[in-house]
Amino acid sequence: MKRNKGFYLSILLLTSIMVLGFAAFCMAAGTTVVGEPAGATPRFANWYVVGWTAVNFFVLLALLYKFGYGPIDAMLEQRTTTIESNLKHAEEVKVEIDQMRIETQNNLADSRKEAQEIVARATKAAEDAKNEILAKAQEDSANLKSKATAEIAAATEQAKIELKDTAASLAIFAAEQVLGRAINEDDHKKMVQEFVNEAGDLLC
Amino acid sequence: MIFGMWDGALFHIGPIPVDHLIVTEWAIIALIGVIAFLATRDMQMVPRGLQNAFEMAVTWSYDFFTSLMEKEHVAKRWAPLLTCFFLFILISNYSGLIPGAGHISGFQPPTSNWNVTMTLALITFFSVHIAGISEHGGGYFGHFISPSPLMLPLNLIEQVTQPLSLTVRLFGNIFGEEMVIAFMLFMVPFFIPMALMGLSVLLGAIQAVVFTILSASYIAAATSDAI
Repeated sequence: MKRNKGFYLSILLLTSIMVLGFAAFCMAAGTTVVGEPAGATPRFANWYVVGWTAVNFFVLLALLYKFGYGPIDAMLEQRTTTIESNLKHAEEVKVEIDQMRIETQNNLADSRKEAQEIVARATKAAEDAKNEILAKAQEDSANLKSKATAEIAAATEQAKIELKDTAASLAIFAAEQVLGRAINEDDHKKMVQEFVNEAGDLLC
Repeated sequence: MIFGMWDGALFHIGPIPVDHLIVTEWAIIALIGVIAFLATRDMQMVPRGLQNAFEMAVTWSYDFFTSLMEKEHVAKRWAPLLTCFFLFILISNYSGLIPGAGHISGFQPPTSNWNVTMTLALITFFSVHIAGISEHGGGYFGHFISPSPLMLPLNLIEQVTQPLSLTVRLFGNIFGEEMVIAFMLFMVPFFIPMALMGLSVLLGAIQAVVFTILSASYIAAATSDAI
């Protein structure tokens, strides 16, 4: 399809060249299609042409300024202003970001320091609590131990007394069985006392 | 008409005659105006398409004329005029290569007429002196007797030769080119003139550049601190 289009365009171009060449040939040969008779010499200082050309040139200059240099200068100026403004804004943002970064770093350092302090305080508090709990536990333990010791001692003493009493009774009973007789109060007491003392020494 | 060059009025606006090449100038103005309008009708902060091309051209013209004139404020002030010279001359030169130029009524390359090139040269002439006076004030006229009052006649002759050379150079090149192409079309209508027309594309651009750079250099010389 493209090939056909190019082919037809080439034919059109060649035809145009041939027609125009023929027309030029006819013109040069004097068979003018339009215009004035051939042979006139161009006149120098045709002031109408000079005037018209000057007017046309300045109209073109005005158009070029109105639709070319004017808007483009304004746009370049606007673009320059925008770019400068953006660069200035970017610089301000950069400074602001730097400042924020510094603030953030400071805040981070402060936070770290504070966190370390909190941790230290917590550690110290925990240590204190631990020490306090330990001390209290030790105190309680000591109290319990001393109380238990006292109770043990008291119980031991009580047990000793009870054992002595039981041993005395057993001794009396045994003596009665052995002797088969009653002994008087004084003997009884004396014997018991001796037995208890010996038995107590052995028991304790 | 001589080889496709009319030298007479196409029609009249009241008592004022309008030549064929004036109509072509209007077409050129309309073309440039429409393109410029399309390029800048909806200006965007991020340029695209035609706006981008126009912005590149404008900034390039500023840079180019600044490097040529060495004074940025002078270059920026005169860049629109010099660019206008370039575009007008370039499109005028190329209009002669469009089929039908010089043969369709109202279609004649403007720069093939020396009244047009003289007008452009006169605009350059006045622009140079306006630039010089606006830059140096009354002291600008001192350069006519610089480095010695004996140089006054030569300096005055130089003021005449500058626009004269601009006029004749541009007119001669374009008129000659048109004549040669017309003659070649007369002699060998097919294919052979195409090589000359290809050369004309280069020649048209070169003449537009030469006229513009010479005008810029005259303005630069008039606004130079050396005066």
